[in-house]
Amino acid sequence: MNTQNQNGYMLLYRSDEWYNRLSQEELRDLMNQNKAWIEKWTEQGKAKPGRALERRGAIVSGKNGRYVTDGPFAESKEAIGGYLVLDVETLDKAIAIAQTIPSLAYGGSIEVRPLAEECPLDVRARELAREEELATV
Amino acid sequence: MKTQNQDGYMLLFRGNDWIKALSPEEKQKVTDQWMAWFRRLTDDGKAVAGNPLEREGKIVSGKNRVVSDGPFAESKEAIGGYFLLDVASMDEAVAIAQECPGLPYGVRVEVRPVAPECPVASELKREAEFARA
Repeated sequence: MNTQNQNGYMLLYRSDEWYNRLSQEELRDLMNQNKAWIEKWTEQGKAKPGRALERRGAIVSGKNGRYVTDGPFAESKEAIGGYLVLDVETLDKAIAIAQTIPSLAYGGSIEVRPLAEECPLDVRARELAREEELATV
Repeated sequence: MKTQNQDGYMLLFRGNDWIKALSPEEKQKVTDQWMAWFRRLTDDGKAVAGNPLEREGKIVSGKNRVVSDGPFAESKEAIGGYFLLDVASMDEAVAIAQECPGLPYGVRVEVRPVAPECPVASELKREAEFARA
């Protein structure tokens, strides 16, 4: 796939708390690798500094958000631990950069998603309106 | 919960499957509501960033860095977009999440405190303290 995208790509870091299982030495080593990684891509103007998320929070759902529950943010391998935005123009380039993320060596996964210019809802609504217009011609 | 947090909160909007079920008018209505909501939060200085995500992408995983497709369009769990909030408490972030126009249609909003530093760095500090004790 070589989808062009002007808006960049979001990397979502998904994993459990695998870092709890590392020794001090491994942690220090990985931290240095992470630092070098982010410096390399920010210097090239390809990555914007990301943020980590705390392993706690809430899930709000239902009409008027009446249900507020704790999510499993610590144990789940699918939980999102942080994010980063890449300023590159194709999905292929974003994937290639994601593949160099040092922590992948310890497991976890990186979700690579194109940022949308406008809400997909809007786009879909326009498409449907156009289809309707064509149907009435 | 009243956790104070200097680094703000992230709202992750989960669920992409509900959109199909709406009529064009309903879609337009929800979109307009969503945009107005984001504009209001931005004007109030409470939202600092936000973006929808395309319903496509890839997953890179594990030691071997395998690339696979994710179910981003149909899934109830898939993330459709996010807001970054500059508010100081979990209560306030949850109250804002409860205003999400997608909630009546089945959208779920994940509310997560942004961490001051990378968890690897925090873990290293914790282990160092433990070793000193």
